[in-house]
Amino acid sequence: MNMFLRSLIVLLPVLILIFFAKILLVDDEIKFKDFESKNFPEFSLNDLNGDPVRAQSLDGIKLVNVWASWCITCLVEHPFLTKLSGQNFKIIGLNYKDSNAKAVAWLEKHGSPFLFSIYDPRGDLAFDLGVTGAPETFLIIDRKIVAHIQGEITQKKWDAIFAPKIFKARQPS
Amino acid sequence: MIGEIAHFLSLSAAVLFGLILIFNFFFYFGKASPNQLVLSTRLFNQACWLVFFSFGIYIYLAINDDFSIAYIASHSNTQLPVFYKITSIWSAHEGSMFLWIVFLIAWSILFIKSLDQNHPLKKLTLLMLSLIILGFLLFLLLTSNPFERILPFGALEGADINPVLQDPALAIHPPMLYLGYVGFVISFSFITAYLVNGNFSLQWEQDIKSWSLVAWIFLTIGIALGSWWAYYELGWGGYWFWDPVENVALMPWLAATAFMHSLFASSKSNVLKAWTMFLGILIFSLSLFGAFIVRSGIIDSVHSFANDPQRGLYLLTFSGLISLFAIGVFAYRLPALNSSNLVVTGSKESFLSMNNILMITSIFSIFLGVTYPLIIESIYSEKVSIGPPYYNSIFAPLILIAAIFIMISIDALWQRRMSFRTFILSILTPTILSVLTIYIIWKITNVFSVLAFIGILSGLLILFSYSIKIITNFIDKKYINKGSAISHIGLGVLFLAISLNSILSYEKNLNLAPGQSIVINDSLKDFSFKSIKVLEASNHDVISAEVSVIQDNRSLSLNPQKRKYTTRGQITSESAIKASVLKDTYLTIGDQLDNGSWTFSLKINYFIKWIWLSVAIMVFGMLLTIFKNKTS
Repeated sequence: MNMFLRSLIVLLPVLILIFFAKILLVDDEIKFKDFESKNFPEFSLNDLNGDPVRAQSLDGIKLVNVWASWCITCLVEHPFLTKLSGQNFKIIGLNYKDSNAKAVAWLEKHGSPFLFSIYDPRGDLAFDLGVTGAPETFLIIDRKIVAHIQGEITQKKWDAIFAPKIFKARQPS
Repeated sequence: MIGEIAHFLSLSAAVLFGLILIFNFFFYFGKASPNQLVLSTRLFNQACWLVFFSFGIYIYLAINDDFSIAYIASHSNTQLPVFYKITSIWSAHEGSMFLWIVFLIAWSILFIKSLDQNHPLKKLTLLMLSLIILGFLLFLLLTSNPFERILPFGALEGADINPVLQDPALAIHPPMLYLGYVGFVISFSFITAYLVNGNFSLQWEQDIKSWSLVAWIFLTIGIALGSWWAYYELGWGGYWFWDPVENVALMPWLAATAFMHSLFASSKSNVLKAWTMFLGILIFSLSLFGAFIVRSGIIDSVHSFANDPQRGLYLLTFSGLISLFAIGVFAYRLPALNSSNLVVTGSKESFLSMNNILMITSIFSIFLGVTYPLIIESIYSEKVSIGPPYYNSIFAPLILIAAIFIMISIDALWQRRMSFRTFILSILTPTILSVLTIYIIWKITNVFSVLAFIGILSGLLILFSYSIKIITNFIDKKYINKGSAISHIGLGVLFLAISLNSILSYEKNLNLAPGQSIVINDSLKDFSFKSIKVLEASNHDVISAEVSVIQDNRSLSLNPQKRKYTTRGQITSESAIKASVLKDTYLTIGDQLDNGSWTFSLKINYFIKWIWLSVAIMVFGMLLTIFKNKTS
C-alpha cells in the first residue's frame, strides 16, 4: 500500500469536514432561514380602550407580548420591556384572560411599555398563536411570526433569539 | 427540584466519563496495574447508571406534566394520554438526543460487561466508548439542554405534541433507528481499539459479530418502519422519497450490510481484514454524519430539527475528530493489516470484495446526491434538487451487477477458484428462468421500462438461484446456510417488489362534487363521491368524505379525512387505504374548489406490502444467522 493512497484515506474526510464547516460558518445567513415563519393569525379584537385593532398595526418590526395583571413573571420582565420601548422598539401587548379594569389599573400603576394592548379576555387570539401561558413574546416582521420566546424575556434570550433576526430584517436587501 | 436532580445526575455522569479519560490518560504510559482497569470499569458502570436514572426521572417529569421544564412545556400537554406524554420526549431535538445517548450507553455498558476482564482490548474499548459518550453528553448539556427551566414561573399548559407525531409509530420508529445507529459504536470502538493496540494476531471478529448483527436488525427495522409510517400514517403515498434524511440512514445501512458480509469472510480467512475494518469504521462515521445532517439543519427536509449553527458546528467538530482519529489510525496501520495472501479470483472472497466495491460506490453516489445541492449552492448560489431519477439510474446497474455476483457466489468456495463448469451450471438455470419470467411479465403488463426491468431481472436472478440451491441441497441432503439464503431471498423479493411497483402503480387526480360519480378504467368502475361531513373530535375538527368504488367487481367504501388540530392549527390528512394481496387502493382528499367540488388523489400502489414483507424476510434470515452464531 503506497503512501499516496494512505494519505488520501485521511485527506478525503478532512476535505469533506472543511467543506461542511465552511457552509456552516459562511452561509448561515442563507441556509438558516426560518422554518417556523408563519402568518400572524387573523383576528377581530379591540384594544383596552375599546377601539378595534387593525391588521396594519402589525406591519414592520413589532413585538407582541402576552401579559396579564395576574401574571407575576410579567411584572418581572416589565423593566426589560420598558427598556426596549425606550430603545424605540414597538411593542404591542396582548392582554390575556384578564379583566379590562384590572389590566388598565396594572398599566397605570407600573407604566405601559406598549403602543397599545389587544384585549383578549377569552384567549382566542392567544389560542391561535399557540400561547401556552403568560408571558410569551413574539417577534413579528411584516405580519409574519419570525421568532418566539416562552416565559420571561431576558437580555440573553433577546440577544440569542430576536436580535439576529431584527438585524437581518434591517439590512437593505 | 426533581428536574435539577436529573440534570445533576447527567452532569455528574459527564464528569465521571471525563475522569475515566483523564485518569487513564495519565497512567497509560506508565506501568498499568490490573486495579486500574477494575476501577475504570466500575466508574464507567456507575456513570452509565447515573444517565439511566436521569432519563428515568425525565420520563417521570414528562408523565407528571412538569411544564416548568421548557422542553416538556413545548412538546407535551396535559390532555395527552400517558403513552404520548412519554413518546413526546423524543418528538424533537433535545429529548431525542437524550434518548440517543441513553441507547449509546446501554449498548456500551452491555458490551463492556460481555468482555472478559483480561481481554487485551477491554481498556482501550472502554476509553473509546467513554470519549464518544462524553462528547455526546456535553453536546446535550451545552447546546441542547432538555432540563432547561422556564423561570421563575412555568407554563400552565403544554404546547402539545405535533399531531403527525401523535401516532404509535413514533413510539417505535425513532428508538429502533437510534438503536441501530448507535449499535455500531461497538464495532467502531472495538476496531479502533484493535488498531491502536497493534497486536494483529488477536482474533477480534467473533467478539463483535453478534453485536453488529443485532444492530443491523434494529437499523433495518427502523428504516422500514419509517417508510411504513410515511406511507400508512403520514399519507405520503409512497414508501421512499430519497429525502436527505432517508439517505443518511441508508448510507450506514449499506455500509453495515457490506460490513456483515466482510466480517464473515474475515472470520474465515484474513484476506478481507482491511476491508472489514474500514467498513466497521465507516458505518459509525456515517451514523455521526447523519446526526450532523439532521441536527444541524444544513439541509431542508421533513425530518430536520430546528436550525442552530452552533449545534451543527459542535457536532461537525466532534464527530469529525472521532472519525478522523479512527481513519487516521487505520491508514497508519494499513501496511501491517494487509495480508500476504491475495484474494483468489473466483473464490467467495473475490465476489464479496466486488460487492464491497459496489456498496461503497452506492454509498458514495448517495453521498454525492446529498451534498451536490450544497456544493452547487455554495459555489453558484443556485438551488438544485437531486431527485429519484438520479438515484434510480445510478442504482439500477449497480443492483444488477450485485445480483449477478450474488448468483455466482452461491456456489463459490472460500479461498479456492471455482471451476468453469460450476460457474456455468450455477448461472445457466437461473438466467434462463429469469429471462422467461421477464418475458411473461412483459406480455402480461404490456409496459416496458429499462430501469424497472433491470430491477426485475436482478430480483429474479437472486430468487431463482437461491430457490434452486435450496431445493437441490434439500434433495441431496447437503448443508445450506439457511440464514443467508432467507435474507437473500428477502433481497430478491425487495428488488422485484420495488420494480413492479414502479411500473404498475398509477395515480389519478379527480375533481368531484358530492353526489357525482365517474368511471376511471376497466378495473375501477363507478367511483362515487357520496357525501362529506364535518365532525368535531376532542382536539381537532374532521372533514370526512364518503366514497364508494367498484374495484375488480368488488365494492369498496373509502373514508379519506382531513383533520385540523385546534391547538397548533395544523392540518393533517388521513388517507383511506384498502389493501389486497397485490395492490393498495389509496385515496387522499385535497381541497374544496370554488364551485363546491373537492379534489381527490387516487393512487393504485402495486406490490407495496411486499416491500415490507421482504424486509421482514431479510430480518428473519439475519435472526437465524445470529442464532447459529450463538450456538456454534
